[in-house]
Amino acid sequence: MDLIAPLAKTGLITQAQNLWLAIPTGFLLGVALQLAGFTDGRKIGRAFYFNDTDVPIVMFSAIITGMLGLWGLSLIGFLDISKVYFLPTYLYPVMVGGILFGIGMVIGGYCPGTALASIATGKLDALMFLVGFFIGSLLFGDLYPIWETFYKSDYRGVIRLDHWFDTTIGGAILIMVVISIGVSLLLRLGQHLVWRNLQPTSSLFFKSTQYTLVGLALLTAVVMAFFPNSAFIPSESADDSFYMVPRPIFAEPGSNKHIKAD
Amino acid sequence: MNKTLRFPPVLSGVLIGLSMVAAFVFAGRGIGASGFLTRLIATAQFELFPGLTEKSAYFARYFETARHPLDSWLTYFAVGLVLGSLVTALISKSWKLEVLRGDRITSSGRLLLALLGGGFIGFAARLARGCTSGQALVGGAELLVGAWAFMVCIFIGGYATAYFVRKQWI
Repeated sequence: MDLIAPLAKTGLITQAQNLWLAIPTGFLLGVALQLAGFTDGRKIGRAFYFNDTDVPIVMFSAIITGMLGLWGLSLIGFLDISKVYFLPTYLYPVMVGGILFGIGMVIGGYCPGTALASIATGKLDALMFLVGFFIGSLLFGDLYPIWETFYKSDYRGVIRLDHWFDTTIGGAILIMVVISIGVSLLLRLGQHLVWRNLQPTSSLFFKSTQYTLVGLALLTAVVMAFFPNSAFIPSESADDSFYMVPRPIFAEPGSNKHIKAD
Repeated sequence: MNKTLRFPPVLSGVLIGLSMVAAFVFAGRGIGASGFLTRLIATAQFELFPGLTEKSAYFARYFETARHPLDSWLTYFAVGLVLGSLVTALISKSWKLEVLRGDRITSSGRLLLALLGGGFIGFAARLARGCTSGQALVGGAELLVGAWAFMVCIFIGGYATAYFVRKQWI
């Protein structure tokens, strides 16, 4: 089977179609943010007092879903992951940025995506947040020479957790799934200890659906960590380090990209 | 007032994750919100003060090519995001022109803090090369060390500041 995704990069859809497909993709995120209650800045603000644990739990669930989807589709030979864009890491800038981002989040109550979604539901505080965002962006861009050196410092390339933990991709996925579940449960416990009977009530249907999804995620991660056994289609440009299972290396002279430098 | 339609956290998260997977499968890239917003304000500044914007070492690259900076995947994505939220709010009857605030803060106080927080985030999202969606969620799914460091730092910054703005929320 040929790797058919990413559709826009394997030429199965045109660039114009790719742009139009971005609309339903964004639509889904807008629906999800509204259903999660993230269009209410108070919900995000209260996350920082253990008063509402939904923010980190939603983030964990989103990341794990994306993670299992991305690497899982690659594992079954559907998605050519070497054609997916990976943002390189500039570690110090991203960490300082993260701290400033957290300060802004607890003061402002939104992040860029939730602010956009919230403005669409008529919330004026989100609109003010956006004005502030514009000012902050302009400050960064127009005074760029001041922080340019720092912005470009501590470049680490595309460094992934499997390199960091010195394990396989599947192993790193399993570790992150277990950490996500563990931290989510700890946060719920913290919420219970600090705020007592604030445990949100959800219907039996929702409860069982959630536990089923978490169980499925854990099961998928275990399979990826211990039983990845799919072969990949070799491709000239692909970088082997992006694959959970190394693709077969062909012996013809000149075609072995491991020998080719850069 | 109607009780707003809500999904529990894991289910909402899975929906957000599916939006990410769709972007990976269709476009081979991550979702993102701050990139579009920065391009939007850079374009506005370019229309008003073209000289200043072209001189900016950071914004100038948006205007160097023939392609308009808003002619981008991120713009279409943002349009979909706004539509999705709008439609869901209309259906669940939670569309309302209002200022959301805690019980212990005035509307103008809330608006001022929203402005200040937005300023921090506008700056931080550029420094970190992405926001919650583009850097944290997508990078997190891609197993990137930088993205997980970013998320840990968000919560460090947030928890460290929380005490000083507690009247705003609780």
